[in-house]
Amino acid sequence: MRTPRLWSCLGALVLASCEWVADPMNFTREEIPRFKAKVEHPAPAANPTALKVMAWNVKYGACRVDFWFDFWGDRVQLSSTEVNDCLSKIALLIKEYDPDILLTSEIEAGSKRSAYVDMIQYLLDNTNLRYAAYASTWDARYVPSEGLGRINLGNAIHSRYPIVKAERIRQVDRTDQDPVTATFYIKRAIARAEVDLGNRTVAVYAVHTEAYDQDGTKQKQIAQIHELAKAETLPFLLGGDFNELPPVCDEKAAAGTAESCDGKLRLAGFLDERASAKGTAFEQPPYTPSVMKRFYDDFNPWIPLARYGVGDEAQRRYFTHTVLGPDSNNDEGVPGFWNRTLDYLFVRPTDGWRDTDVIQGPGRLGVTQDAIRLSDHAPVAGTWELR
Amino acid sequence: MKTLALSLLVSSLALAAPRPARDTAAVGQQGQGSVGVFNPLRIAIVDGVELEANPLVFFVAPNVNSRFRLFDGPLQLTAEAGLSLPTFGMRLMKGFFFPSWETSSNDIGWMLIPRVGVVLSGKVFEHDVWTAKVDAAFRLPLGPNSATPLGSFVIPLDLLLAAPLTGVCTRVGGAYDHAFGERLRLRGEVNLFVTGGQGNLVVSGQSVGPIAPLSNVVVTAHLGLDIAVFQQSRITVGVLWANADQGASQVVRLADGFSERQRVRSNNFLPTLDYLWAW
Repeated sequence: MRTPRLWSCLGALVLASCEWVADPMNFTREEIPRFKAKVEHPAPAANPTALKVMAWNVKYGACRVDFWFDFWGDRVQLSSTEVNDCLSKIALLIKEYDPDILLTSEIEAGSKRSAYVDMIQYLLDNTNLRYAAYASTWDARYVPSEGLGRINLGNAIHSRYPIVKAERIRQVDRTDQDPVTATFYIKRAIARAEVDLGNRTVAVYAVHTEAYDQDGTKQKQIAQIHELAKAETLPFLLGGDFNELPPVCDEKAAAGTAESCDGKLRLAGFLDERASAKGTAFEQPPYTPSVMKRFYDDFNPWIPLARYGVGDEAQRRYFTHTVLGPDSNNDEGVPGFWNRTLDYLFVRPTDGWRDTDVIQGPGRLGVTQDAIRLSDHAPVAGTWELR
Repeated sequence: MKTLALSLLVSSLALAAPRPARDTAAVGQQGQGSVGVFNPLRIAIVDGVELEANPLVFFVAPNVNSRFRLFDGPLQLTAEAGLSLPTFGMRLMKGFFFPSWETSSNDIGWMLIPRVGVVLSGKVFEHDVWTAKVDAAFRLPLGPNSATPLGSFVIPLDLLLAAPLTGVCTRVGGAYDHAFGERLRLRGEVNLFVTGGQGNLVVSGQSVGPIAPLSNVVVTAHLGLDIAVFQQSRITVGVLWANADQGASQVVRLADGFSERQRVRSNNFLPTLDYLWAW
């Protein structure tokens, strides 16, 4: 990956400044900054044996505004009002569920498109979460695509308990992009934090894997996440947007065999896919749910496959993603609704779960906010029982 | 190489006085003019009245500026007035500096950009010149407009499009031009720009709220060296520093080990280079 670095260096030297045109993220594993709330929040229970946890891709505080890569709109920027309105509702939902640990992806701090809002600090100051760690995965002074401009996006870990160590671990990059595109493209990384609960220290991982690669990058990133978690010596929580379907079946299995996906799991033809996205850089690559099997084999998922069920009808209540919002119709006139599961929570196999769900809308896990209007992903949540 | 060396020698011998200072209040006699690759084409159409235009962008962003000598002498005062139509050129930048807006009717609106200014210059010693200038450019909308301020990584580009995208760009500046013998001139210039605000984000003709505010004060400084080449031409090289609020922030580690994100202003250092020919 020397060419993108060269481009960045040239860009930085020729075009100007004391700042990267696009941070090449030349690290393997490095410490990341920790932040704390600037307002007082109630102290959590001492020496807990269970933690309420949530993972949520918050779509950079855009709620249901469709950006150009969604193919249902062409926005590139939000007003301050839109971002603040959206974030206040996101914070309300989080406060309603009141997690001890929150994992977020697509959270931003100083992006032009999200009105330069520091969302990590915003959630610290507007929920009961007291500490945070932020792993930037996309830090560019100017992203030329559609005039997107300055961007700083990443994964964050918020906690009511002190974060004593925080780091980011680099994931592999795509290899199917030209050097210029690759320079300005997101660089995936895993956020890892150690949280001091008083009676023990736990490890927390926030992940967000590649969405649009055609070269198997996402599968490599998922394998890397599994290896990391497998090697973890502390009790751990792992969660986020894996951009992959649950391993209900094997997509490679021949039709008619026991492992076949026919009738068990929808792999394509989702109601929010727009024909105009085909052949573009934002076309949905084929899903490969079998790559998630190792997580279900080795760790404890918040929704076991037996509960997830077989077929759209059974699985619908656990879907976590829809590009198309409920107030818009697709080209066939069908309004958007959650139509696939991409977000997960896992803990080590010896730990347990209770009260787990996908907060798809009002009434789930006691939440009254309507999550489908707050992001293109639903929060996944539950109580992690530490044993 | 021998020819070039000989030419330089001949031209050097031909120089009787330093090249005149550039970008001052001086307005030429009828028929005089100058042009650079990046500097504008300037022609005196009558004594004391010049027209100038930037040929590099003229066919995508028609522009003309006029300069009128108000008085001459130890102090020179010149008034400037200009007009440009940048919309077509800006539309060529869609996809990289502006959205393509492929699923809506949003677009960069048609607009006229009038500009007015005054320039005052005075001589110091025999060949040095100081210059002060004040100017302002405004946007006259000719239709609906969805384009928003660039916030690019190159501050001069943001400044160039400040009037079309924020509605106004005013400038107060000063320069000093010193002659080092017959061949060299050193020029320093400082400018303070105040642009319009970020405005509202307009989507399909409706405002969806204010765009995040940024400081509308921009400071630039330029240091340039003019090197006389032939009797009527020169090469100019220099460096431009520009300082503006481009939404940047930095993470500062505090004494307790936690960090805080703080907004900072951005700096650009850009090389400048041009070849100018005068007649």
